[in-house]
Amino acid sequence: MDSVLDSKALPRPLKGDVEPTIHWDIYPMNCDPRYLQLTTSCIPNSQSLLSRWHLPLGAVVCPLAEAPVGEEVPIVNFVSTGIIRCRRCRTYVNPYVTFTDGGRKWRCNICAFLNDVPGDYFAHLDATGRRIDLDQRPELTKGSVEFVAPTEYMARPPMPPLYFFLIDVSISSVRSGMLGAVAETIKSCLDDLPGFPRTQIGFITFDSMIHFYNMKSTLTQPQMMVVSDVDDVFVPLPDDLLVNLSESRRVVETFLDSLPSMFQDTMNVESAFGPALKAAFMVMNKLGGKLMIFLNTLPSLGVGRLRLRGSDTHVYGTDKEQALRVAEDTFYKQMAADFTKYQIAVNIYAFSDKYTDIASLGTISKYSGGQVYYYPSFLSAVHQDKLKHEFARDLTRETAWEALLRIRCGKGVRFTSYHGNFMQRSTDLLALPAVDCDKAFAMQLCLEETLLTIQTVYFQVALLYTSSSGERRIRVHTAAAPVVADLGEMYRHADTGAIVSLICRIAIEKTLNSKLEDARNAVQLRIVKALREYRNLYAVQHRLAGRIIYPESLKYLPLYGLSLCKSIPLCGGNADALLDDRCAVGSTMMILPIKRLLKLLYPSLVRIDTYLLKASLKDDELEEIGERLPLTLQSLDSRGLYVFDDGFRFVIWIGRLLSSDIAKNLNIDFAADLSKVNLFESENEMSKRLVRLLKKFRESDPSYYQLCYFVRQVDHAIAPPSPEKCIICRRYFEHKYEQAR
Amino acid sequence: MVKVTMIARVTDGLPLAEGLDDGRDVPDIEYYKQQMKSLFKNLSKGQNDASRMSIESGPYVFHYIIEGHVCYLTMCDRAYPKKLAFQYLEDLKNEFERVNGSQIETAARPYAFIKFDTFIQKTKKLYQDTRTQRNIAKLNDELYEVHQIMTRNVQEVLGVGEKLDQVSQMSSRLTSETRLIADKARDLNRQALIRKWAPFAIVIGVVLLLFWVKTKIW
Repeated sequence: MDSVLDSKALPRPLKGDVEPTIHWDIYPMNCDPRYLQLTTSCIPNSQSLLSRWHLPLGAVVCPLAEAPVGEEVPIVNFVSTGIIRCRRCRTYVNPYVTFTDGGRKWRCNICAFLNDVPGDYFAHLDATGRRIDLDQRPELTKGSVEFVAPTEYMARPPMPPLYFFLIDVSISSVRSGMLGAVAETIKSCLDDLPGFPRTQIGFITFDSMIHFYNMKSTLTQPQMMVVSDVDDVFVPLPDDLLVNLSESRRVVETFLDSLPSMFQDTMNVESAFGPALKAAFMVMNKLGGKLMIFLNTLPSLGVGRLRLRGSDTHVYGTDKEQALRVAEDTFYKQMAADFTKYQIAVNIYAFSDKYTDIASLGTISKYSGGQVYYYPSFLSAVHQDKLKHEFARDLTRETAWEALLRIRCGKGVRFTSYHGNFMQRSTDLLALPAVDCDKAFAMQLCLEETLLTIQTVYFQVALLYTSSSGERRIRVHTAAAPVVADLGEMYRHADTGAIVSLICRIAIEKTLNSKLEDARNAVQLRIVKALREYRNLYAVQHRLAGRIIYPESLKYLPLYGLSLCKSIPLCGGNADALLDDRCAVGSTMMILPIKRLLKLLYPSLVRIDTYLLKASLKDDELEEIGERLPLTLQSLDSRGLYVFDDGFRFVIWIGRLLSSDIAKNLNIDFAADLSKVNLFESENEMSKRLVRLLKKFRESDPSYYQLCYFVRQVDHAIAPPSPEKCIICRRYFEHKYEQAR
Repeated sequence: MVKVTMIARVTDGLPLAEGLDDGRDVPDIEYYKQQMKSLFKNLSKGQNDASRMSIESGPYVFHYIIEGHVCYLTMCDRAYPKKLAFQYLEDLKNEFERVNGSQIETAARPYAFIKFDTFIQKTKKLYQDTRTQRNIAKLNDELYEVHQIMTRNVQEVLGVGEKLDQVSQMSSRLTSETRLIADKARDLNRQALIRKWAPFAIVIGVVLLLFWVKTKIW
């Protein structure tokens, strides 16, 4: 096989990110692909055509994606007329509606119903049938627009931003320094929490008992109330456990300052997490908001306690293994349903070095639109920066509260399944208690009729939410896609990023009910079938026996498929990844937008020792350093220093023969346990350059913070490779991969 | 106790602010909130005859103040003193006009002044317990006034009592004297009559006497 394959000639996404394919020329008014990206921009017109397209047909939606300056979504307020919507299908007015009858009627593009134009919205049409006031109407010219919602769209007055913290104060969380780091981060973010002056805040801590804090603004310091009966939890105060931040600011700061010292001598090893969760629910259910949970110990007391399942290694390879990746207790899913009903989103921060059953805990986040942050073996000396950065981002990023997401599409197509973190309320409505710019959702399409008669399919995503400033708004993204009868067209306009995103989510969901091997096989089979179908289209013409042919648009697909099979949630068998790791990374991959997922699957590899050793630097040298290398063993030179960056961590690979003054200057002591070494800046130029370089890599995507892990190339005969090194080797290096035949 | 507070613009019924976490211990709170919204709608149709009114509904009472094109509406228990409820609305009105007065007319979206809910929350807490010092002082003020007026009234009543006595005395005197006068008038009348007709009567009497004497002699 290898002789046939010239591995250097294989396509790799080294020149920057994979760009999405868009139909800018035909549909210039489509929304930007960062909001809505279809797996292929051409929709098949028949079931038979769809059955020949083995890749998923669907879309990835990131409704609140951050827009660069100058491209913000315009806000429109229909004061007198109310929001213009189609009477039959309730589609919002968008650039693709057509005006007829001199401007007095408009035709909906999704259901073709003819609606009346209200008097205040009327404008004459010019000779080409377009309204003369188009330049004053962003909702008729832009694919993404935001409407101010009138009172009919509100079940209750707009809620204030509310942040609630549920913190584990057992002995391991104090010893690891988590408590101090969390308190410090919250304190530093108090000024930046969105929603001033209405922001509300509250705290509950727990170990074997639950501690409530009265934060009334007239107190000089917070009052702690302890509830020890975990079987029958009650809330000791009706008010003042949840307070207005600007009024009780001083009390909150006093609390955060004293939090680490309050528990520093604790000897408590238990964790009554389930009861504490119920207590938090009882306090928060009047208003809703974001609940952030900090866990350091496996829940051991009261309802919802979890048992040590991670050590059941004998079930791997049998039919029972998927049960390990699913929640055992229905308590968490039930709590998540309750949370969503009262507009509470839950984020879980897990820090333990032992098994914490992320599979069960993750279900709370999964069904309430939150996410899981995993910091295994957290030590504040080493991991503090990462926690601070990511937690601060979670607190301060622009959030949409009490939100509902609905996606509408033209006649003849229908969205069948949704993948991501949300609660599905009906076939096309997703409930999201709190959604933000880092969350993306994927959905799959199917054709309802055997043959589509329409020429274009329109998609409209609408997110109804309350902004942090207390305004109820509806963000609408509209896109159009042509209907084709030719499979080749579909391949030509396929988008690798969206396809990989969907395949990845489907595969991770498959691991919840079948073996890892089956999930991997399903991924490979799908890609193989798709490429085989493509080959059948063109093989006759080119007579290419023994070679792969693939469409230009999907050239990286096999590579990403391979990386997916080697990624932590899907790789290998039992010993290759910890159970908690699998679940945590799996749940993160379910919410990632396309670009970040692609980077995680195929990280960048950059050689930096030449840069560090250069005698003098030109100013723009830093910009040129980003030349990526293919992830093969041949790329790694023993004399070099390399950085892997997958968006979540940096791995600094140190070659065996690396020049010793680099090592000296960077203060790397090879005798020490490299997994606990932290990079710090020392006085010399080389170290400064390295830190600046890493900073530049971090800034390219601020959503996660990469910590450095050092890995040394060692001679296997002398010492067994460290666990990190194994993981990296297995994940990051391409081995030969099967020819698709 | 003050249960729910809503502030809306009178001209079109646009909600401007609402109390945070209102009415959480009231069953059927949605029903009453609906009633409050219908009230706003009625007011926007121009039927606001009174600038202050209390409207009863089941076990609760709605109190409102309309001023400056804004209606401040609250729902309270029946037992809650009306005076305190209107004092609460006055406090809200003063603060709302101070902070948002200039922007009320131009507010375009619902709950444009939702930031006011923290103030509503604070003020509600102050008025929550009818037995707190502050509220008792307020009620006592009112009681004092009522007491004053009551005292005045008693005095007036007493004064009126005196006057009444005098009046009744006077009237009885009047009647008795009138009777006397009536008698005297009758007498005088009689005398006047006699005086008028006396010469006639004497002349006729003399003529009749002469005629009788003549017939007697003949």
